[in-house]
Amino acid sequence: MESILINCVQNNLHHFMHSNAIFISQLLCAQFPSETNLQLLAACYLQNNQAYSAYHILKGTKMPQSRYLFAISCFHMNLLGEAEAALCPANEPGAEVPNGAPGHYLLGQVYRYTDRKKRAIDHFKQALSKDPLMWAAYEELCILGDAEEATTVFGEAASFCMQKQYLNCSTSPNLSAEDCNVVATNSVSEDVSPRKLRLMQGLKDIAANPHGSSIIGGAASQLISSGSSNMSFYNTPSPMATQLSSVAPPPLCRNVMPNGPNLSTLNSDNSPKSTVNSTIQAPIQAPRRKFVGEGKLRKISGRLFSDSPRRSSRLSNEASVSSNANATMLSGNGTSNSYKGGSKLGPMTFRTMTVRKGQSWANENMDGGIHNDAVDVSRLNISSTTSCSSAAVEAKAYEQDATTLQVSGQATSESKVITGASEILTILRVLGEGYRLACLYRCKEALDTYLKLPQRHYNTGWVLSQVGKAHYELVDNLEADRVFSLARQIAPYSLEGMDIYSTVLYHLKEDMKLSYLAQELISTDRLAPQSWCAMGNCYSLQKDHETALKNFQRAVQLNPRFAYAQTLCGHEYVAQEDFENGIKSYQRALMVDPRHYNAWYGLGMLYLHQEKFEFSEHHFRMAFRINPKSSVILSYLGTALHFLKRSEEGLAVMEKAILADKKNLLPMYQKANILMSLERFDEALEVLDELKEYAPFESSVFALMGNIYKRRNMHERAMFHYGIALDLKPSATDAATIKAAIEKLYLPDELEDNL
Amino acid sequence: MSLEMAAESSEGEEEGKLSGGNQVLIVDEDLRELGKKAAWSVSSCKTGNGVSSLRDDNLETYWQSDGAQPHFVNIQFQKKVRLQLVVLYVDFKLDESYTPSKISIRAGDGFHNLKEIKAVELVKPTGWLYLSLSGLDPRETFVNTFMLQIAVLSNHLNGRDTHVRQIKVYGPRPNPIPQQPFQFTSTEFITYSTIR
Repeated sequence: MESILINCVQNNLHHFMHSNAIFISQLLCAQFPSETNLQLLAACYLQNNQAYSAYHILKGTKMPQSRYLFAISCFHMNLLGEAEAALCPANEPGAEVPNGAPGHYLLGQVYRYTDRKKRAIDHFKQALSKDPLMWAAYEELCILGDAEEATTVFGEAASFCMQKQYLNCSTSPNLSAEDCNVVATNSVSEDVSPRKLRLMQGLKDIAANPHGSSIIGGAASQLISSGSSNMSFYNTPSPMATQLSSVAPPPLCRNVMPNGPNLSTLNSDNSPKSTVNSTIQAPIQAPRRKFVGEGKLRKISGRLFSDSPRRSSRLSNEASVSSNANATMLSGNGTSNSYKGGSKLGPMTFRTMTVRKGQSWANENMDGGIHNDAVDVSRLNISSTTSCSSAAVEAKAYEQDATTLQVSGQATSESKVITGASEILTILRVLGEGYRLACLYRCKEALDTYLKLPQRHYNTGWVLSQVGKAHYELVDNLEADRVFSLARQIAPYSLEGMDIYSTVLYHLKEDMKLSYLAQELISTDRLAPQSWCAMGNCYSLQKDHETALKNFQRAVQLNPRFAYAQTLCGHEYVAQEDFENGIKSYQRALMVDPRHYNAWYGLGMLYLHQEKFEFSEHHFRMAFRINPKSSVILSYLGTALHFLKRSEEGLAVMEKAILADKKNLLPMYQKANILMSLERFDEALEVLDELKEYAPFESSVFALMGNIYKRRNMHERAMFHYGIALDLKPSATDAATIKAAIEKLYLPDELEDNL
Repeated sequence: MSLEMAAESSEGEEEGKLSGGNQVLIVDEDLRELGKKAAWSVSSCKTGNGVSSLRDDNLETYWQSDGAQPHFVNIQFQKKVRLQLVVLYVDFKLDESYTPSKISIRAGDGFHNLKEIKAVELVKPTGWLYLSLSGLDPRETFVNTFMLQIAVLSNHLNGRDTHVRQIKVYGPRPNPIPQQPFQFTSTEFITYSTIR
């Protein structure tokens, strides 16, 4: 009876019938109370976005898999202390972190959000060493500013590690046959068989470990991380559907086929399978958005290459994971199998939940989900069932082939694994290096790195988003706009980087485009912080700072770990001259991400407003340390130094700013300003004479020249320049100031109050 | 967006007649509303129609005075602010004899030294009325003051008490970039002037 129930639950989860799954597993736990069954129930809860339920039932459990699931629930409920205790019990300092790589990753996140950077880095590194395909851990390291070069991380050692993992699958023909058979009965994922095999191989890996959960965890983590590889397994250059049949020989290790080309093919061809996969996945998206930081979103979505493949891989991951679970259920005994299922679902659901942030379909699983998503869901369900049935047929055909060809396949599998692993790692090296450089704000280098990618990888939502961000950091807003809009065409459902895109449009003052973007994002996902950031930027562009602030606050509520939303709140507070709240917002942003240089910059500007020049200088320096290439930061640092009466230093910094970006004319203007206040009028005029050639329409340049000529008592020249300044339509205040200055030119005896 | 003045008549230096009024409030982008930074008070009011009705962004609610003329609306700031524009919403069709007719705007440091800076006469107004505080001299574009007082000296049809539905005060936007002598006008400068 137990195994039937377990199988039923697995099946339900596989088909995303969460309420039924929960009901049956509750029945199961009542009839056969055991910790492994509890894990299954917890997994059902987590899939159904009920982390609190999972938390309660798993509280106090000791098995590694239970502790892992418990930690995930705690993480989602923002109980970081308990999550840490579960993963790393205080009274067992030497205990191994449950579930290997995913466990380390989760623990790393806990440490990151509790401000223990070193430990976080340590665990992310461990996660990566145990599983080189755990891209998310590498992303975290980049964000923390402590990532090693991608060539090292995704290099030789990683290759060996992957080979070890995937080569083991060839040593268990019997089991795999069994699995294949079992899998054949599963009606959904085409990836089932290879996954099963990987599961088996995982078992072999950790054979000595008495705790099945950690084995499963290991296998699951491989499954998860190699999700896209599974995807690609069926993604040989021809469309998905036909690949299943062509996959037969070395069934097991073929799974390790290169991700890159296949995936990108998937992307660029927009092959039917990819859309199918995306649709299959859609219903699973039950977000715990509140607890998922932007970093996580990037991690998850950055998991492999782009949004669609990631989605599909996630989908196939989930599909295959649950199908694997099903398969094991059927083949093995109740107990051990059930908890395999549970454990696999654990990390899966975590990913699902964390990924969901940017997804549109996530909502339906939530109670009172947004109704406009319901339509999507129904459409998706229909397409997923059709794809399932076709996949099932393929899977069955595949199974038969697999079993017969298994033995012959083993000989060639080893070399395939090696080539497969190296191909995967090649792509990951490029992506990793690009991401790392971008996080260090070495944007030109990052752009060059990304260009090394083959077209089909470059033209994916994720990569283009990163490229767009890099252009934005280089203050090349036009190019960023172009790249981001391309990204939107390719992956219109993706919210990755869209907050930055909205800022790009804000800078370009493209209010139509910006409002269109915001509307689209909100209708895609009303619960994503990026959507509200875009909306807020819209209002801010209209100078409606109050409404903009409300929107940014909404984004913060949706995800308190999304640093940019906090920074934007800070900007709006400062625009309203509410400096107290501005400081609080910026500081909150820095608590989430101490390398968020925008917040350091924001504080620098705030203190400049308040004329607290020492604080201002300090904060600009911190920003500069993180992003040493930014000419804007340098120019303000120079200004702050000047106000601290360290004008020579200020001028030196200003020179650096001028050199840092030829297109930025502001440092020259600031330099002239400083020179003028130092009464070095001729030098100031020299700079401005040059500047006016580059910026013939900038009123303030001529107005400043007017001021200088006035100080030199060269009234005609002053008049001339003031006239031009007025023609260039300055603001009302400045127009009044300039006019008053003109009046004063002719009546030098009159008392002045405005100047 | 340009400053929209009342449709019919123009403003004179001392005595000006205003009629008509816009249904939509449109103000130059260069200006921002400063009322939130001030303490508002009125010389008298009927219960339920107090000073908050002047600031609630609701044109259905109004302030109704309750005493002898002139009636005052006092707007006091914590520090000197530059003001450029006062906008009132009054409607003869709804308020008839309660509609203000003669309005005087005074400015100063406090109640003891208020001086008239503007006087207008309204003729059957029906909507938003824009009262610019600028003088002819460019040096007088703004009024730099601690306090503004809007005095209703008389009403239409010799009504005793008055209704005013909304009042807003505007001043210039400060330079978003601190410690700068002038604001930037060109896109290139503005783009590089800040990191968002």
